[in-house]
Amino acid sequence: MTRTAFKPSNHPLAAYIERLEAGGDLLPDSPENLVEVVGILKSYGVVLDAYSKNLIYIADHQFLVFFPFFKYFNGDINPTKLLRHWWHDRINYEYAEYVMKVMMWHGGGGLDDYLDTEEFQQLAERAIRAKFKFNPAISAIHAIFPDFLPEYVRQSCYYSALGQFWRVMSDIFLTLSDRYDAGEIQSIPEVVQYILDGLVAAASKPITYGVKIGDRRYDILPKSAGLTFLMDTAVPYVDTIFFRGTPFPGTVSYNAQAHQIPYFQRDFAYGALYADPLPTGGAGIPPTLLMQDMRHYLPDYLHEVYRTNCRGEDDIRVQICQSFQKSMFCVTTAAIKGLAPHPLTTTDPEEHEANRQYLETWMDRFITSRLEMVNQRTERACQLFPEPSEKTK
Amino acid sequence: MLTLLIALPILGAIAIGLFPAKPTSNRFRQLALATAIAVFLWTVLLTTQFDLNQVGLQFEQSLSWIPSLGLSYRLGLDGISLPLVLLNGLLSAIAIYSTSRSITRPRLYYALVLLLMAGVYGAFLAQDLLLFFLFYEIELIPLYLLIAIWGGKRRGYAATKFLIYTALSGILILAAFLGLVWLGGSSSFAYQPFAGNHLPLTTQLVLLGALLVGFGIKIPVVPFHTWLPDAHVEASTPISVLLAGVLLKLGTYGLLRFGYGLFPEAWHYVAPALASWAVVSVLYGALSAIAQTDMKKMVAYSSIAHMGYILLAVAAATPISLLAAVFQMIAHGLISALLFLLVGIIYRKAGTRDLSVLTGLLNPERGLPVIGSLMVLGVMASAGIPGMAGFIAEFLVFRGSFTEFPVQTLLSMVGTGLTAVYFLLLINRAFFGRLSDVVVNLPPVQWDDRIPAIVLAVFIVILGLLPSPLVDLTENQTTALTRSPSTFSVSALSPDPPGTVGP
Repeated sequence: MTRTAFKPSNHPLAAYIERLEAGGDLLPDSPENLVEVVGILKSYGVVLDAYSKNLIYIADHQFLVFFPFFKYFNGDINPTKLLRHWWHDRINYEYAEYVMKVMMWHGGGGLDDYLDTEEFQQLAERAIRAKFKFNPAISAIHAIFPDFLPEYVRQSCYYSALGQFWRVMSDIFLTLSDRYDAGEIQSIPEVVQYILDGLVAAASKPITYGVKIGDRRYDILPKSAGLTFLMDTAVPYVDTIFFRGTPFPGTVSYNAQAHQIPYFQRDFAYGALYADPLPTGGAGIPPTLLMQDMRHYLPDYLHEVYRTNCRGEDDIRVQICQSFQKSMFCVTTAAIKGLAPHPLTTTDPEEHEANRQYLETWMDRFITSRLEMVNQRTERACQLFPEPSEKTK
Repeated sequence: MLTLLIALPILGAIAIGLFPAKPTSNRFRQLALATAIAVFLWTVLLTTQFDLNQVGLQFEQSLSWIPSLGLSYRLGLDGISLPLVLLNGLLSAIAIYSTSRSITRPRLYYALVLLLMAGVYGAFLAQDLLLFFLFYEIELIPLYLLIAIWGGKRRGYAATKFLIYTALSGILILAAFLGLVWLGGSSSFAYQPFAGNHLPLTTQLVLLGALLVGFGIKIPVVPFHTWLPDAHVEASTPISVLLAGVLLKLGTYGLLRFGYGLFPEAWHYVAPALASWAVVSVLYGALSAIAQTDMKKMVAYSSIAHMGYILLAVAAATPISLLAAVFQMIAHGLISALLFLLVGIIYRKAGTRDLSVLTGLLNPERGLPVIGSLMVLGVMASAGIPGMAGFIAEFLVFRGSFTEFPVQTLLSMVGTGLTAVYFLLLINRAFFGRLSDVVVNLPPVQWDDRIPAIVLAVFIVILGLLPSPLVDLTENQTTALTRSPSTFSVSALSPDPPGTVGP
């Protein structure tokens, strides 16, 4: 039986379902898309490497430090670095924290569940007591407000988990870039497959977390908790950061009372796949920080693409954001393929039907996303607002 | 010294006309700009030499011209005309700088702009009624051509309308001047304050009425305003800058200098009606601005409203209100020039001025963020936000006029609120919100496009924070003008024997 015999989907995004079933990807394969995706993932990999190191440093070394003034210094504090920090000629670790907080707020996955268990409570309590055994003031506060410090510990867990997740992703993206440079990656499907292989390879990597207090190590996320890379960090990450996200104050005025922001978190659609790249660069637009960081590490071939834009490098952060969105659709494609109940190209009718339902569920979430936009050719020429005709006035 | 202000631009225009270069050469622009800057620097030099403590004319020059007609070439500068002379120099240089380098027929264009500059200088400096009229009319011709040749789609209509209205204005002014001299039994057209006071009141009122309508067209006040929005919409950006910034001030300057200056007694009778007329202009202009969807038309109607404040201040004729009138002329000159400049840049870069189409122009990377920020500053200044020139001007207007016309002043203050309304509409529609999905790559604005607007913005803020230099320049003269003829220092105004030339 051939695939063409299957009943076509009635979904508004049926074209993409068919494309995925035919072995294609959400992002069309084109030389420009390939350059943009690989180039941006290269710079993203460099930035993620830095984010990952810092998140893990904060989790390990700023555990229950209430005023971590030097948390972005990774333990290396000197006047030169301090001046550079104030001058903002640095990696914007604030963005990594923003992502961590969004992930923590939305929750989901095994990590979120584990942080509500009795076992975690006990482990956290043990670490808190050890940390403040010589601090009667904080111990007293902890006795009066017993939920306060454990919440801090939960946050530290997210610092660590996201750091570990990004460590893996950074390595995947940097080796992808190396393979591209070596001529081994030549198409978008190859990019998606490479990411998918990387995710699969790291799927069962354990996510653990412990802190050293005094001369003793305290486990917070022990190996016995069974938390793994794919299901407990990657999937929640994709769900919260790619799909849900948070509305950015300052771009649009929201009236929460009128439910312009969904009542339920699960209905949020402010993630990376929905974000309008145009406001990038504005105050209060968190991805601006990421784009600002990535611009420092753009490979020359991608930089050249951006220079051909109408405004040259003036709007480079917007262009980076557009490319980044394309790359995130590639990562999402890898996730969709990796989590599918059966190979998407299956010819078995039952498997196909199961895949169809699975894909339609994904597509429901893509309806309001930027999927259509990333499938259009990026406009790089200058344009004017169309002058309204007398008829339309 | 003063003749140079008129002669230099004329010589510049002649030099451009004769300059051996390709018709599309950039040399014409450079020559025009150099001339305008030189003249502006000359006005700055004059300002440094200006004696703030002296009331009356300074740097006077007088030549007998046509003695049989009582016509003389008399120029002079006082605290009322000096700020306007400075404004003309600054805005002319800015207008030339802001002109597109790819303008067609640059030789003619720049020559006309310089002639326009010379004509306006002449009008502000003239101390002879007919000489003023001559310059007043001379500037019409270059301006007519500048609109008719380099204007928009309906440029012919707009330019003709402008010419008819302003020519009619000139005729009325000329009639009033001739009436004053002939009925007053004078043999000279030399300007003297309070010259009309000795005429019968009815005669004064008739002559003043002619001046009011004549200058009222130029200001313009409702209902003689209809030429202005058309002229603005069709004129190119630099010409709009000159039109709003300087040329309209000829109307208010004329009203203050000749209307009030020559007929203070009759003025006392018409002042309440004038103040009410000002209110109508303010409110009509503001309400019309609210109704506009064309950004340029909105700014044009806003000009009508803001010129109404000057009319109110001149009508009140108190020492503070006359000072306010001059201050508002300068403030409005700078602010309206800034707004028209910015609207011009927006039109060039966005392709439309339609507020129902434009959106999200403040976008930091793909929009026009600097232009948008300057626009926010400009509209705040126009709405009289403290810290900017508009606030000082409007505050002085209301403070100076309230004692004479409290009701009209309070009604005019509503106009300030309405200014905030229409400019918030402009900012909200065009600049805030998301940049349109239809337009994702607006052409960039270069620094040399921004510089003129930044210069104007700096002046607006400086005058808002430090108004004293302008106040010091003007206050003595405007205060003296409100005194009785017997106490007004006319030592410097007495006609010189024909043939003498001042320092």
